[in-house]
Amino acid sequence: MIENIYVPHLMTITKIRDEAENVKTFTLEFKDSQIGKNFDYKPGQFGEVTLFNIGEAPISITSSPANKGYLELSVANVGKVTSALHQKNEGDVIGFRGPYGNGFPFEEVSGKNILFVAGGIGLAPLRSLINQMFAERNKFGKISILYGCRIPNLLCFQNELDNWAKLENSEVLLTVDACPENDWKGNIGVVGSLLPNIDIDLENTVAFVCGPPVMIHFVILDLLKMGFSGDNIITTMERRMECGLGKCGHCNIGEKYVCKDGPVFSYQQLKELGENI
Amino acid sequence: MSATRIIDKKKLADFLETLSSDCEVIIPTVEDGNLLFSELGSSKLEDSFKGRPIVSPKEYLFPQKEKILAFDTTDKVNVDIKAYTNDKKRVIWGIRPCDLHGIKTLDAIYLSDFVDTYYQARRKNTIMMGLNCNEPCETCFCNSCQTGPFASEAYDVVFTDLGDKYLVKVGSDAGQEAVDKIPNLFAEATNDDEKKAGELEEKSKQSFQRKVDVDVAKQNLPESWDDALWAEESEMCILCGGCNFTCPTCHCFNIEDVQCGEKASIRMRYWDSCQLGGFTQMAAENTRENQAARLRQRIFHKYIYTPDKYDGAIGCTGCGRCIEVCPVNIDITHILGRVASK
Repeated sequence: MIENIYVPHLMTITKIRDEAENVKTFTLEFKDSQIGKNFDYKPGQFGEVTLFNIGEAPISITSSPANKGYLELSVANVGKVTSALHQKNEGDVIGFRGPYGNGFPFEEVSGKNILFVAGGIGLAPLRSLINQMFAERNKFGKISILYGCRIPNLLCFQNELDNWAKLENSEVLLTVDACPENDWKGNIGVVGSLLPNIDIDLENTVAFVCGPPVMIHFVILDLLKMGFSGDNIITTMERRMECGLGKCGHCNIGEKYVCKDGPVFSYQQLKELGENI
Repeated sequence: MSATRIIDKKKLADFLETLSSDCEVIIPTVEDGNLLFSELGSSKLEDSFKGRPIVSPKEYLFPQKEKILAFDTTDKVNVDIKAYTNDKKRVIWGIRPCDLHGIKTLDAIYLSDFVDTYYQARRKNTIMMGLNCNEPCETCFCNSCQTGPFASEAYDVVFTDLGDKYLVKVGSDAGQEAVDKIPNLFAEATNDDEKKAGELEEKSKQSFQRKVDVDVAKQNLPESWDDALWAEESEMCILCGGCNFTCPTCHCFNIEDVQCGEKASIRMRYWDSCQLGGFTQMAAENTRENQAARLRQRIFHKYIYTPDKYDGAIGCTGCGRCIEVCPVNIDITHILGRVASK
């Protein structure tokens, strides 16, 4: 009897935190502790999350593998499954199968300076990698985190952003597109507008970019203009997905399935895939 | 494998009926003028068949809609999850070489990397009996795709219609076992039988009305990416999805939870179609936003992506069903011809 790849595992929601406007972070533990013990993942991987009797959706893991025993998902309330998740309480049970996808390169970029450029909820998958890099701090050079949102209320992980900024050889720069309440003292402008404010050693820096497609598009153009090579720009691809297993066909681009061969690609790889990114 | 044999046409029904004592036997049968697959017993075995069934036998391995999981949340904390299983044993007789090849392509997709539990169970329990094509249909171009008109692989047993008898070749242990159930129905084939089958194959190969230079088309496809032909060829598409649904290698599906009362649901999967606008629709955007891009995806998927990903074999069997079913005459051989002549 082989394992049925479509069967979700039961996970208990042990904690719910209001992360930002319309965003909650859910801490999950496997009901079967044996599965929890064997569960391993890489930053950038995702799971298919089942809200029973509602449906299933792919959601990236935001916790870091450095933290054992639980998973965290930060979820914006935007659709059928995510709104059902937002109505859940601590102690409730949901389904999870995964981890899926290739995840971010980690050992491959050790020794480099790391530049993170995130937009909105796009910080969620990067947070997993950021925390793993800080957990193995001596493997990396300078870590710069540029993060932008439409308005201040949408900024996620604010405590962590403060903490990361205080760590040695790291910097955190924030921006918002606009501030209707007028209580924002920081930068105003799209996240790409922060790039001129930091010193970058082009040869030794790898950029990780994640956010809404339009933000990714313009940030990559900025990075290319600065002289980044396509291999040193790592991003994640968003596509409609159903199975997460490279079978259902929705996320197919070229010979790749974004769910299985991605969602993490270098800009160089994306260019070679052909279809619009 | 054992020597080639023959079976008298009148005895084929006995053979299949014997097999049906412990499994379902599927045969091609004519209903309202259409050749379809259906169960032996509810349909009678005809003496001969022309053409290929209007749909492939894919349905028996990967049903158009299928229950995969059942959830019961009566106990909120210990949610009951049941996986549907399928252990029905089946023989499908009369599978055309194009469709045998189609199943081979589905095998590559569903049985590699993550193994699809549902497909694997059906596949394991299915014995595939092919039937070579003496007379290709008007829309057939399997010869160009090297999947027919006679099967060289991917069958458990394959039959060739020699007029009053079938030539029988065994291609696997499962096929051998099936034939060995009633060995006295079969006789050893003579050299003349083999020779006649060879002549029929040659004759069949000569009678194709459509030819596609697949190698040249494949070679030219990448260059055609931005060509106007995709918009031109897709302009008339009415988004019926028929090309995908009749294709023996199309494997895309949707997963959907159907509620059954307040505390239970069934997770289903359904065939989906890359020609429909919703196929790539996400919350914020649609990544394949026009019909030209969708048609290009269908052709590139078959002719570039599938061979790149799985062992070089194209994902089109040349069965011609997408041509036959299309209400607005979108014709893959015409498209490939345009690409090849660039």
